[in-house]
Amino acid sequence: MIKIQDVCFGYNEGQDVLQGLTLEFDQRTTAIIGQNGAGKTTLVKLLKGLLKPTGGDIWVAGVNSKDVTVAQLAGKIGLVFQNPNDQIFKRTVLEEVMFGPLNMKVETAAAKQQALQALEMVGLADQTDVNPHDLGLSEKKLISIASIVAMNTDIIILDEPTIAQDAAGKRRIAQIIEQLSQEGKLVMTILHDMDFVAAHFERTIVMNRGKVVLDDKTREVFSHQDLLREACLDTPYVTQLGKQWGLPETVLTTEELISAMKRPR
Amino acid sequence: MKSMSLYVERESTVHHIDPITKLVYIAAAIALPIILPSLHTAWICMLISFVILGMGRVLTRSLPIIGFVGFILLTVVIIQGFFHVGNETVLFRLGSWPFYEEGLLFAMGITFRALNIVGAFLILVLTTKPSDLVESLVRKGLSPRIGYVLSSVFQIIPQMMATVDTITDAQRSRGMETEGKLMTRIKAFLPLIGPVVLSSLIDTKERTLALQVRGFNVKGSKTFLNEEKMYRYGSAMRWSMLAIVIGAVIWRVIA
Repeated sequence: MIKIQDVCFGYNEGQDVLQGLTLEFDQRTTAIIGQNGAGKTTLVKLLKGLLKPTGGDIWVAGVNSKDVTVAQLAGKIGLVFQNPNDQIFKRTVLEEVMFGPLNMKVETAAAKQQALQALEMVGLADQTDVNPHDLGLSEKKLISIASIVAMNTDIIILDEPTIAQDAAGKRRIAQIIEQLSQEGKLVMTILHDMDFVAAHFERTIVMNRGKVVLDDKTREVFSHQDLLREACLDTPYVTQLGKQWGLPETVLTTEELISAMKRPR
Repeated sequence: MKSMSLYVERESTVHHIDPITKLVYIAAAIALPIILPSLHTAWICMLISFVILGMGRVLTRSLPIIGFVGFILLTVVIIQGFFHVGNETVLFRLGSWPFYEEGLLFAMGITFRALNIVGAFLILVLTTKPSDLVESLVRKGLSPRIGYVLSSVFQIIPQMMATVDTITDAQRSRGMETEGKLMTRIKAFLPLIGPVVLSSLIDTKERTLALQVRGFNVKGSKTFLNEEKMYRYGSAMRWSMLAIVIGAVIWRVIA
């Protein structure tokens, strides 16, 4: 769905943030992890067309990102920004969520339908007439997710979706990711919450200093503790606990850990 | 983040001079050509300002600004050369239009004075950190609140510009076209202004709270983090400039 070929990018001349990146994305849910400054956000902005590569090419659903504007690419790839206050400006939740589909020239009735479905998915169907600014940060985040889901793009990128979410909010976001994935969409995220990554993403890409240092199934990635440490990352707590317990395999969830611990040793 | 300050980091004597002395220089540089309104005073003062800019190794950086002001002043020279009220002596003709000496001299006086003022301000702006300037003024009795307002402008505006960029990206991501025709750009304005204002209000509230919890409103004199920037010969320079201005006033009265 996305192909990245030898992509380089730097904000200043001679200082590349990304160096010769080559990646392909399929429909697997994918998490991009790495310490601050590793180049995750830059990569995502390049995918979205907000930045243009200084070298190499990016194809999103067969379209080279250099050949189209961000608005033109919006129908193919959606990006949920970290801070919902950066996008919310309409007077009601419904209008806010309809903003994207209307920009895509979707008929008003169909845009409303798509918006209502998206709000149903994020659990805010009963808040359609509420002013978004009267809601908490957690709900605003869900509105920003809904406003991208309503655009019905095949690719959705979530930037730190679990920020400001309590346990119930995280469960809701996990459900949204699962549902979108079942619909055949590529769901990609930037995350620092390793437990969430371990529990909900099939593929994990580890970035360090503008390069991909690991790219594999999530279980494989979290079994490379040394490489993760070099990238200044921790493994999930449950994985650490499993290792401390002496389990030979890498466990990613509490259920897996309990199951492994119950096994006769 | 982009910086709003024009300050240029250099190692020079001018950079070491304290901000108050530079402010006194500006006052003197403006006052002298007014007190002694001859063409010679104007160009000498202008030349001194340019020499100081050179000593501060910022003359190259000031050239674009001086050039811009000079370009505007060129129109003054042209208009006065052709149409000044006291024009009598023809210098040359441009077709059938005579260009006069009196108008040229009058315009040159304005040009030199204007460039002198610009040069004097550039000395302050290019060789003084805004934070040093504000701190010096607060030490001299400026209200810390006003000082904070002045210094925060230098931080808030670049921060707002960064916020505008992020918000623009967020709306473009939802298919909002921001490039192209004027109407398209006008339409893009509304989705940007709401989040920008909201972010600014949130930032202001957080800054206020952060100041209050750190005792900004505590009454009484405060101490400062940095040592006061005092140039060794600053006091002598300030008194000298005052003496020159007083001397100029006396000269004007006597002569």
